[in-house]
Amino acid sequence: MSINLNRGDTIAHNKNLLKEIQCIFKPNNTMIKNYCDIISESSNISPRLELKEITKKFGGIVAVDRASLTFSAGKVTGLIGPNGAGKTTVFNLITGFLKPDAGTIYLRDHPINGLPAWRIAQLGIGRLFQDVRVFNKLTVLENLLLAKKDQLGENPLVSLWQRKKVLKAEKKNIEEARRWLKLVGLEEKENSLAENLSYGQQKLLSIARLLAGGSEILLLDEPTAGINPQIAKSLLAIIKQLSQEGKTVVVIEHNMSVILEISDWVFFMNEGKVISFGLPEEILGDPEIRKTYIGI
Amino acid sequence: MNYILHILIMISVYLILSQSLNILVGYTGLLSVCHAAFYGIGAYTSALLMTKLGLNFFLALPLGVILAMTLSLLVAYPSLRLRGDYFVLAGLGFQIIVFSILYNWEGLTRGPYGIPGIPKPGLLGLEFNNLPLFLLISSIFAIVILFILYRISVSPFGRVLKAIRENEMAALALGKNVSNFKIKAFIIASGIAAIAGSLYAGYVTYIDPTSFTLDESIFIMAIILVGGTGNVKGPIVGTIFMVILPEILRFLGIPDTIAPNVRQMIYGGLLILLMFIRPQGIIGEYKFE
Repeated sequence: MSINLNRGDTIAHNKNLLKEIQCIFKPNNTMIKNYCDIISESSNISPRLELKEITKKFGGIVAVDRASLTFSAGKVTGLIGPNGAGKTTVFNLITGFLKPDAGTIYLRDHPINGLPAWRIAQLGIGRLFQDVRVFNKLTVLENLLLAKKDQLGENPLVSLWQRKKVLKAEKKNIEEARRWLKLVGLEEKENSLAENLSYGQQKLLSIARLLAGGSEILLLDEPTAGINPQIAKSLLAIIKQLSQEGKTVVVIEHNMSVILEISDWVFFMNEGKVISFGLPEEILGDPEIRKTYIGI
Repeated sequence: MNYILHILIMISVYLILSQSLNILVGYTGLLSVCHAAFYGIGAYTSALLMTKLGLNFFLALPLGVILAMTLSLLVAYPSLRLRGDYFVLAGLGFQIIVFSILYNWEGLTRGPYGIPGIPKPGLLGLEFNNLPLFLLISSIFAIVILFILYRISVSPFGRVLKAIRENEMAALALGKNVSNFKIKAFIIASGIAAIAGSLYAGYVTYIDPTSFTLDESIFIMAIILVGGTGNVKGPIVGTIFMVILPEILRFLGIPDTIAPNVRQMIYGGLLILLMFIRPQGIIGEYKFE
């Protein structure tokens, strides 16, 4: 079943999408309602992320070479290229895990170079890691509960002396976390340790955790790798919907059909440089890029 | 009977120490080898305030805690920027510095001669000057601290500490100020270790630097590794096991001439065996790597 989405559609108005998510995740209308509720709570900001002439070197190797990229609100931008092209390094630079050697990264026209990773995350840049990075010895529910930023009980003194307030906030957070778990079909697993989930389930958990964080900019490193095709399809629908709700979505993906399906724009990178930028069909139809990237 | 009461008092002191170290090692994943330094700071501060200024134990104790917490902040800020082995080395350095100060600043600490005549705790005319009363007070401290640490461990704060232990990068990506959380954990652990130090000083009434060496830090670490980290139960089991085991070995009937060495060998051998059978400790939920 294909999903047809148009600009301005909302999840509630798109019957195809509703049916699709209903079919694959859970035959449950409440779930769709929950999704709509959650999304509508944090969807009215239009962020823009811009990298200007960014360079990052590791010793003598230039991982990112004067790369300039712009990611707009309400768009899904694909970031493609062969292994070692510098795609994940770009994510590391945006999220503050690496500092650029040259160039500037702007979030809503404000430079964010040099800010610590946690601060950048708090400014609304969320990231899905390629290798899931769930908290293994924590339960599925606890993993989700960590998504909410600046929780009252994260101050040890408050958690001891204002216990009632903390418990009240915690109750609300648990309810919200359960809605996200329901959305990805992990509600039955909420008390399991994350390490006991399959890889696909861990991926879904990390996606739910990212969405629960309410970030306006979502950096997704191979979101569909390792999960079953049906769930992947639903996930793509959700990603598309998130961008329509105004989020900026950047996707690194090796699966070209995924790029074609969800991307509005594509950057092609090779050896740290941005080689090309355009519509997905144009980029993937370019014979030189096909030769470099796909080998045909 | 006095012997058993003494063992129980020591269990309560080590219970406080092991639970506080568990906050760092078990919850946050930080291998700290300077816990005895904060234990010593608490003990010496209380002892000096009580012997030199005549302060009551219950006034001296919080001042020892405040000093330990302040020093831990000064140590934590630079050292928590270091990772893995380098953090361990920074802790080792602090442990050695504190021991050197206690050992060499004779004008203040009397160096190797230690501080004798530390008064027993007293409150509202009640002197805790016998073993049952001291056991009562040390047990109350241990239970209250256990309760507080349990509350912390199940709070959102405790959850973030565990997340940092599991995957620091993922915690950062969720907007958690990892350094800040580590510093808070370090300050809490150090303050509680200082409480154990004050209790110990008030109990033995004589302290010297040899009670607060690197060996002591390693012993506290061994308690939580044997009992298990990452939950409240592990350090309880570890404390009982590690404090009682050497005492049990006293009753093996080994000839006096070789008894201490043989006991140490059996003790060491049992620990190695346990680490092979249960690397996560007796009832731990997290295997420190």
